[in-house]
Amino acid sequence: MRNATEQDFDEIVMKNDKPVLVDFWAPWCAPCRALAPTLEEMAKEYAEEMEIVKVDIEANPKLAERFEVRGIPLLMVVKNGVETARTFGTVSRSRLDAFVDTHIGAE
Amino acid sequence: MADIAFHDDPAIKAQAQARLRHHVAAGSFVYFPAWENGQANVIGAVVEADDTPAYAERLGYPIALAEALPGLVNGFLQRDEAAAFAEAWLARTPVGVDLSRIVSQLVLFLLDDAGLAAITGRHLELEQCRQTIMALHRQAMDGDMPDRKAWKSVRMAAVAATDRIGDAPLDRQAGGVVEAAAWPGTMRTVLRDTLTARGTLDLTRSLAEIDWTDEKESRVFKLREQAEKDGYKAELSGLERVFAILDGDHPALARGFRQRLQRLEESSAQYRSIGWQAIEMMENAPIIATASKPANKEV
Repeated sequence: MRNATEQDFDEIVMKNDKPVLVDFWAPWCAPCRALAPTLEEMAKEYAEEMEIVKVDIEANPKLAERFEVRGIPLLMVVKNGVETARTFGTVSRSRLDAFVDTHIGAE
Repeated sequence: MADIAFHDDPAIKAQAQARLRHHVAAGSFVYFPAWENGQANVIGAVVEADDTPAYAERLGYPIALAEALPGLVNGFLQRDEAAAFAEAWLARTPVGVDLSRIVSQLVLFLLDDAGLAAITGRHLELEQCRQTIMALHRQAMDGDMPDRKAWKSVRMAAVAATDRIGDAPLDRQAGGVVEAAAWPGTMRTVLRDTLTARGTLDLTRSLAEIDWTDEKESRVFKLREQAEKDGYKAELSGLERVFAILDGDHPALARGFRQRLQRLEESSAQYRSIGWQAIEMMENAPIIATASKPANKEV
């Protein structure tokens, strides 16, 4: 799982050959912290199908503005440089799995 | 040795207990955060870091059990009771027991519940998912781990079944319990998520029994907020102030609010009970035979 910043976001996310699940988070956000172990595990489980990239919106406010992030945790799917889906708020591991399955088509 | 308590080494257990005791004695044992400014929770006290995987790895607990542990400790509302439970957790885990079945055993315990079954029983597909997930956990406990596809298939079926049962909160929350449990015991958050989903369902059911609604919750919040602005009953604080306001001006709401607090306490008691249940399961887990000691006997 990689971290992206305002400087390298386009390189890491928008130009990525694989679909990317972007996790917009902040250090003070408790639900984001609760989600972290799930994402770590998913990053390993779906390593072949997609990449998970984290964006700290406090350190990278321009990215939050660019993608109109109005609340966190926010998960966004980017495929071939285009946002294709997003989900906001606390989401269960099973729902997240279904979300990935639907939008990334992981087996 | 994965999932063998304390890797069959009494010294590991002794060190973990000593570190925890140090924080309890120093008054630096807390619920949250895990590790910050010398304060530590049940995980941080032992590994001296906010690192649940390290706790699981060093002590031989399954990662899902370690992930759920802070939630179980949170069920003890008094810090000394929480510390006593944390100490009992280590003390009553026998060195060398095989903990590999514990997570599935606990998930089964959470799924095999009459109140949950009463709800899922009204929705055939969801009930079938609950039964299938229980069967998969039993299969795993028998040493025959179902493959990834089997878990995924029932998980997707549970999500779809929940989506088809409408918007009634209790039904959706029951679906949430079934969905959360549809993972192998090796998945890091399966136990924490199932516990949380069961806790949410049980509390909703309990509050519905006393007709405590979101509207009443909101009324109490707004009355308290208004009192803050107006300085009303400012000589009091906390719950004492809330009850002074409610008893004086809204006696029916006060009665309901007292019942609500009682139900919340009962909900915490349920968490505590599950925590003790987990300890009993560990005490009764089989001991792995090693060259240095006979089977079924603890060193």
